[in-house]
Amino acid sequence: MGVENVDAVHKMIQRIMLFSGNARIMEICGTHTHQIARYGIRSLLPKGIRLVSGPGCPVCVTEAGYIDTAITILDDPDVKIMSFGDLIRVPGSRSSLQEQKAMGKDISVVYSPEDAFRAAAEHPDKQTVFLAVGFETTAPLFAALVKQADKMNINNLFFLTALKQMEPVLHHMLGTLELKVDGLICPGHVAAITGQNPFQIISDKYGVPAAICGFEALDIFAGIHELIQQISDKEAVRTANLYKRCVREDGNTMAKSLIDDVFAPADVVWRGIGMVPDSAYVINKRYKRFDALERFGIRIPDSGRPNTCLCGDILLGKTEPGGCPAFGRTCTPENPAGPCMVSSEGACSAWYKEMGEERCLQESN
Amino acid sequence: MPARIQLSHGDGGKKTSALIKEVFYKHFGNELLEKSRDAAIFALGDRKVAFTTDSFVVQPIFFSGGDIGKLAVCGTVNDLAAAGAEPLYLSTSFIIEEGFEIGQLEKIARSMGDICRQVGVSIVAGDTKVVEKGFADGLYINTSGIGVVMESYIPRDLLDGDEIIITGTIAEHGTTILALRHGFQNEHICSDCKPLKKIIEHLGEALCHVKCMTDPTRGGLATVLCEIAEFHNMGMIIEEEKLPIHPHVQTLHQILGTNPMFFASEGRLVLFVEKGQGTKICRLICEIEKDAAIIGTVISDDRKFVRLRTPIGGQRILTILQNEMIPRIC
Repeated sequence: MGVENVDAVHKMIQRIMLFSGNARIMEICGTHTHQIARYGIRSLLPKGIRLVSGPGCPVCVTEAGYIDTAITILDDPDVKIMSFGDLIRVPGSRSSLQEQKAMGKDISVVYSPEDAFRAAAEHPDKQTVFLAVGFETTAPLFAALVKQADKMNINNLFFLTALKQMEPVLHHMLGTLELKVDGLICPGHVAAITGQNPFQIISDKYGVPAAICGFEALDIFAGIHELIQQISDKEAVRTANLYKRCVREDGNTMAKSLIDDVFAPADVVWRGIGMVPDSAYVINKRYKRFDALERFGIRIPDSGRPNTCLCGDILLGKTEPGGCPAFGRTCTPENPAGPCMVSSEGACSAWYKEMGEERCLQESN
Repeated sequence: MPARIQLSHGDGGKKTSALIKEVFYKHFGNELLEKSRDAAIFALGDRKVAFTTDSFVVQPIFFSGGDIGKLAVCGTVNDLAAAGAEPLYLSTSFIIEEGFEIGQLEKIARSMGDICRQVGVSIVAGDTKVVEKGFADGLYINTSGIGVVMESYIPRDLLDGDEIIITGTIAEHGTTILALRHGFQNEHICSDCKPLKKIIEHLGEALCHVKCMTDPTRGGLATVLCEIAEFHNMGMIIEEEKLPIHPHVQTLHQILGTNPMFFASEGRLVLFVEKGQGTKICRLICEIEKDAAIIGTVISDDRKFVRLRTPIGGQRILTILQNEMIPRIC
């Protein structure tokens, strides 16, 4: 299983190894977290550079109350829930969708939201509810589905949304919560939709070095290299777009207009982080009839901060997974206590896989 | 352990192993069973015999490269091969759902018969049960098999420097089922399901240099490597770049964000051979399996870590499959 540009990667590593200072760099995006573990990137960095994981794994920041709501909707025996795989293992406050599935509830794991159309058509007697979770990257897809469902006049397909926006949480973390990091690796996929603009505030308003990066090994090393250069020379602080092959300055205008057509901003609680104003995408008035909350007449309860683990502090980069007392003990990928362990993109899961079980225990001792 | 069986209890990973230990070993554990090898090996008269059993619930029952019948014969024959045994006799049981097409059943039986003839084994005992419509999904097949262990094969402890060989490209069976389930199938992704008997025969006397063998089925290559490391109290270094993988398989996993190292093969063998013998044995295997490769080495490590050296020189630690990737692949 090969990697492209191995020579270029090695040259980049040699240049990074010259950095003798200390730097805490946060990768915002869960896919970056996953790839850093996959390539063993931490093992190739100088000791002074620490990579911490941010809030960009959609499953990780989804509140327990959202899972509880999905389970409540399933009380209706005519409901069929469709979800992406990771989400079904997320613990709610009482149970997970996986446990509900084992009890016989109708829950399907799918890879494409389009499967929801097929399910709705094949089961006219059922109310199909799709769990729409994600960031700006997946929001346009769900927007397109809602519009298509509207056009086809489908009346048994609904969306329980937990879609979130990146810019408000960046403001919240860097401003309100005064997050202390020396640089941010920004999510290339989100930027491909939004354009560079929402990330510009990181350097321009908060003075923190930032680099929008792709997801191959060379992209990530290039991002780290860019950030340590900015860290070494304060004059150079900027939001660098290192993923120009996918990210245009104004992003994907068609996707953005789909989002604007179907969704409206709303306040939402991020698991472990708290309420972030205007950071959700909810289905707007025009398409409200596809909103599962509207259809079933319920609200997502505020289930408060989970107290069994430090997912919140981990998502804010305040501590690393090894610093959580639950990590590797009461919280493992097979029995996750917190969302960071559930998703393969979650910081704890990535750490766990990277380090192996026994070392996790040593770290948490 | 949760109060009810979840699908992940059947994925061949961590939960399966916990279930087996906590429920089955508790009630009928014995020294032979608890070795948890591909087949039990014991003496009958003056011969060493290998005995194994396996059930097949794959969905869909027909897939590119095989069907549930071919899989049922290969699965058991390969467990015997991995135990270094020449397979001789099989038994089979069918649990069939009311309404199943007899034409399809015959197609499955034919493919079982064909593979048996090809391998030189006979199905000598069988059973048929039919359950009401809705109480099974089409049909399930069990096979058990018995074989005689080759005298040249002497399983023994792994030592620092022993070499690790895989006989071909990884993850193709599991990936084929994954692709079918999710509508990503193409003509390049095809199950590797096939009997491994030929490789064992081809190695012949050279088997004396092989210390341990296993077939990376459920849980994939990562899981079996971790199990062997655990069993032998050794670590391993695997070179990611040396892992043979079909480009279409790799691409599909990149798209889906899944890891091929956790996906099953049904026609591959992993061999641990004496230090210094790897190149010779691998060359021998390559005469009949062109993609065979040395993928790593055994190292002393009391933590028993299986480390993967990534193509850029980074390292990460492989664990056994933690969560179901996709149910009912075999």
